[in-house]
Amino acid sequence: MANPDHPVPIGAGVHTVLVVDDEILIRFQISSYLRDCGYRVIEAADIDEAMIVLNEPGLAIDLVLSNVGIGGRMDGFGLARWLRANKPEVPVILVGSPARAAEVAADLCETGPMMTKPYESEILLDHIKRTLAERGSLASGILGNAVAVLTRAGDVTRAS
Amino acid sequence: MGEPNGAPRLMAAPKTILAVEDDVLIRLAIADDLMAEGFRVIQAANADEALKVLQSTVDLDLVMTDIRMPGSLDGLELARQVRERWPMLKIVVLSADLPAQRPASLADAFLGKPYSISAVLTCINTLLSIENGEP
Repeated sequence: MANPDHPVPIGAGVHTVLVVDDEILIRFQISSYLRDCGYRVIEAADIDEAMIVLNEPGLAIDLVLSNVGIGGRMDGFGLARWLRANKPEVPVILVGSPARAAEVAADLCETGPMMTKPYESEILLDHIKRTLAERGSLASGILGNAVAVLTRAGDVTRAS
Repeated sequence: MGEPNGAPRLMAAPKTILAVEDDVLIRLAIADDLMAEGFRVIQAANADEALKVLQSTVDLDLVMTDIRMPGSLDGLELARQVRERWPMLKIVVLSADLPAQRPASLADAFLGKPYSISAVLTCINTLLSIENGEP
């Protein structure tokens, strides 16, 4: 079980986050922030790139953080549905605005580096859920394999 | 951070490299290699993304670009624009399709693919050391 009294040093037991965003300056800022927090970050500029990464056997992705309105063969909702069907163990957070993406990254950053080993993706997700729930924004937004859709207005939307 | 291939160590603040590559797995590998050596890396999927970074307030030291990429311009045209608009930036062209003509006026170095990370690091460290006036 995770023990918050024994934080993991940055760089130890690193989780990999796939950041999917077609706005390079946002993608870079979010990715840099998460790297500073000790995560390994893989950047994808669209859904097609994300799918290549997710289908690459040598790359284990622990969490996907994706823009909703991103281009490619499908949008963020489509990516979440694909993950639910094909990689249900990978949690997804969809964000609808750069500000929300930054907030989510801050939540990840605040929570992740303080977690102790062993911490599986479910535990990480639990922290994300709890963190977001504490913000009063995620009462009913966790679906299936945990797809939280954070819209521009800060509302939580279900993915169909 | 080590001193690969006897290359100079990076000093103080990390140098920032804009890596422009349309193949996400190659881009990831290059970025991982460069970040492991202490560089700050901004990853652009094409020249259009690269221009957004170049036109932003982000400070860059070097642009490393592929040649053949989708988008409004290829890597050679990107290099031309960088030379013209941001002449202080070092440019490395990294491609499997290097042109027969490789003028220094277009780029500081041309490297082929598949690339050797040691060759890339030696090249980058040399270029950035020259920029800093180091031996």
